[in-house]
Amino acid sequence: MINIPLFSRKDKRKTKDKGGISEAAKGVLYGFAVHGAATAALKTRMHMEHLFMLMTLGDMLGFPIIPPYYSLKILPYVVPNIKSWKQRLFRERDFTDMLSG
Amino acid sequence: MQVGYLETPSLWIIGALIAYAVAYYFYAKWVDEHIWEVSESRTTPAHMYLDGVEYFPVSRYVLYGFQFKSIAALGPILGPFIAVAYGWIPALLWIIIGNFFIGWVQDYSTIMLTARNEGRSMGPLVYNAIGERGRKILLGYLLFYLLIISAVFIYLVSLFWNVFPGSFIATIGIIITGLIAGELLYKYKTNIFGVTAFAIILTLISVGIGTAVAWPPKNVFGPWSLQVWSVIFAIILFIGAIAPLPKFITPMNFVAVFPAIGGVILIILGALFSPLGGIKVLQPGFKGWYIENVGPLFPILFISIACGAISGWHSLVSTSTTGKQLDVETDARPVGAGAMLTEGLLATSALAAYMVVSPSLIAKGKIAAFVNGATLLSSFYLGGKASMAYLSTFFAIFLVIYAITVQALVTRYWRVFSTELFKGPWSWLGDKYIATFVGLLLPIIFALTGSWINLWIYFGGSNQLLAGMALILVAFYVAKMRKPSWYAAWPAGFMTIVTLAALLWETYSFGLSTFGLAPIKAKPPLTQYPAAAWSLNALFFIIGIILFVLGLYMSYALWSAYMKARKGEIEAKEIST
Repeated sequence: MINIPLFSRKDKRKTKDKGGISEAAKGVLYGFAVHGAATAALKTRMHMEHLFMLMTLGDMLGFPIIPPYYSLKILPYVVPNIKSWKQRLFRERDFTDMLSG
Repeated sequence: MQVGYLETPSLWIIGALIAYAVAYYFYAKWVDEHIWEVSESRTTPAHMYLDGVEYFPVSRYVLYGFQFKSIAALGPILGPFIAVAYGWIPALLWIIIGNFFIGWVQDYSTIMLTARNEGRSMGPLVYNAIGERGRKILLGYLLFYLLIISAVFIYLVSLFWNVFPGSFIATIGIIITGLIAGELLYKYKTNIFGVTAFAIILTLISVGIGTAVAWPPKNVFGPWSLQVWSVIFAIILFIGAIAPLPKFITPMNFVAVFPAIGGVILIILGALFSPLGGIKVLQPGFKGWYIENVGPLFPILFISIACGAISGWHSLVSTSTTGKQLDVETDARPVGAGAMLTEGLLATSALAAYMVVSPSLIAKGKIAAFVNGATLLSSFYLGGKASMAYLSTFFAIFLVIYAITVQALVTRYWRVFSTELFKGPWSWLGDKYIATFVGLLLPIIFALTGSWINLWIYFGGSNQLLAGMALILVAFYVAKMRKPSWYAAWPAGFMTIVTLAALLWETYSFGLSTFGLAPIKAKPPLTQYPAAAWSLNALFFIIGIILFVLGLYMSYALWSAYMKARKGEIEAKEIST
C-alpha cells in the first residue's frame, strides 16, 4: 500500500481543490527540505522489501532461503506487495537512475 | 544614504526579473503549447508505473521545491566570479540570455523527455538514440565529470575554512546538528516541527559560536593549510559517503536547507533594495576580451557561470527523478522552467554581490569576494556594521554547507558508478571503501595545484557540454515527433561548440605548461616541488584530452542521430503518442 503524502493534483480533483498560497508555500518548503529525504527513505525501504520478498518467496525463484513452513506463515503478509514488488524488480535500472538516491 | 538606481545593482536585477518573466509566460508557454502540446489528460509515468517509490505523482509545488534544491548549488554563486573578470556587463548578459534561450529549455525539455518516454533517465535515453557504446561513454564521461566537481568543491571548502576563521567550528556545529536531527527524526520519531525549530536554532548558535571564537586563524597549518583542510574535509566526506543515507546525508541536507533558503533570500533582497543602503556598483562594466590567467571571453565566459545560466547537472536531476514524478504534463513548465529561472535570479543576485566589491578583490582572484559582497548587500538592512561579522561567517557557512551537501552526494554517486563500471578482475575498485577512498584521493591530488580557476573551467566545460548533449538529445526526440526542433537544436549547437572550445583551450593551456612553453600552473607550496607541479599539469593535460575526446564523440554521435531523425530516417514512434 502506498501511504505517503502525494500532494497530487489529480487526486485532489476528486475531492476539493483547496489551492491557495499557503498550500503552495507548504508544498515548496516540503519539496525543498523533505521530498528528497522521503524519496531516499522509500528507496531504502524498497531494497529491504526486496530482500524480505526474496527470503519469503525464494522457493519459487529457486533460492530456498528459509524453510517452506515459515514462508507459508509469512505469505499472507507479503501477498499484497507481490504486484508492486514484481514491477520494481523487473524494471531495468540504469546508472543515471541511481542519481535519485 | 540613498543613491540612484542606475548606480546600484537593483535596476539590473529588476531587468533580469522582467526577462525571466517574459521567458516563462511567453516563450516557455509557446514551446509548451505548440511543440510539446502538453495535455492534462495524457497519462504520465508517475501514474502509469505508480509504485510509491520511484514513480508517484507529486504536486507541482513540491516538485518545484525539490527541483530548485537539487539544481541550485555553488555554480550560480561562484561562477559569476570568473565571469565578472571580463566586467559585469558580459556576465549579466550571459546570465539573462543563457537563461532565456537555453537554461530553462534544457530543464523543461528533459523533464518532458522522461515524461514522454516511460520515465527513462538519461542513460536509457542516450542508449535509444545512439546505442550501447554511447551509454558506456556517457558513464565514463560522468566519472571524470564527478572527479572534477569533487576537486573544485573540496578545494573551495578548504579555502573557505582557511580564509574565514570560525567557519570550520560553525560547520562542525551544523554537522553535529544534522546528526542529532537525523537521530531525532528517524530513530526517536520526534515531531518534524520541533526538530526543524531545533535545527534552525542550533544552526544560528553554531554560526554565532564560530563568529565569537573566530578560530583557527588563517593558515593555521602553515604553507600546507589548504591541503590539510582538504584532507579533513575528505575524512568528513568519506564518513558521509559510506554511512547510510538517513545517518548523514539526508539529515545534513535537511539542516542545510534553512541557511540556504535564508542566504538566497537575503542576497536577493539586498540586491533589489541596494539603493536604500547606498550600495554602489564598483566593478567596471567591461574589462576586456582577454584576461590573463582566465583566458579569452569566448568561450570561457559561457562556461564559467555554470548552473546560473545552464547546467548539464540539471538534465540528470530532471530525468532521474523529477520527470518520473510529474503529476500532469502541464506541471513541467512551472517545475522545470520555473526552477531554472529562479536559479537564474539567484545567479543574477550573486553577480550583484561581486558587482559591489572592490575591483582589486576580483583582480587578485579572491573568490571570498562573494562573502564580502553578500555581507555588504544584506548588512545595511540587518543592523549595519554590528551585524557584519556574524553575516560574514553566515555567508561563508552558506557556501560551505552548499558544497558539503552536494559533495557528499557526488562522492556517493562516484562510489555507486564505480560499482557499476568496474566488473570482473577490476571489481575491487567498486568496493564500497576503496571506491570512496579513490573518489576522494584523486580530487585531493587535483586540488593540490591550488589553481581553482583552471579546475573550475574544466568543471564548467564538462558540465555545460553535458547540457549540450542533453539539448541535442531533446532535439533528436522532438525531430522524431515531427515537431520544430530549432528551439533546442540551436542552443545545443551553440553549447557544444562553446564547451568543446573551452575544453580545448584549457587542454591547450595545460599542454603549453606541460611542454615547457608556458609557466607551470601551480601555487605555493606546490611551486617548491617542480616535478610534482609538472606531473599535475601533465595529468590535467591528459584529463583535458580525455574529456574533449569523449565529449566530441558523444556530441558527434548524438548530432548524427538528430540529423537522421530530422530527415525522417528514424521511425517516428514512442513520444509522438
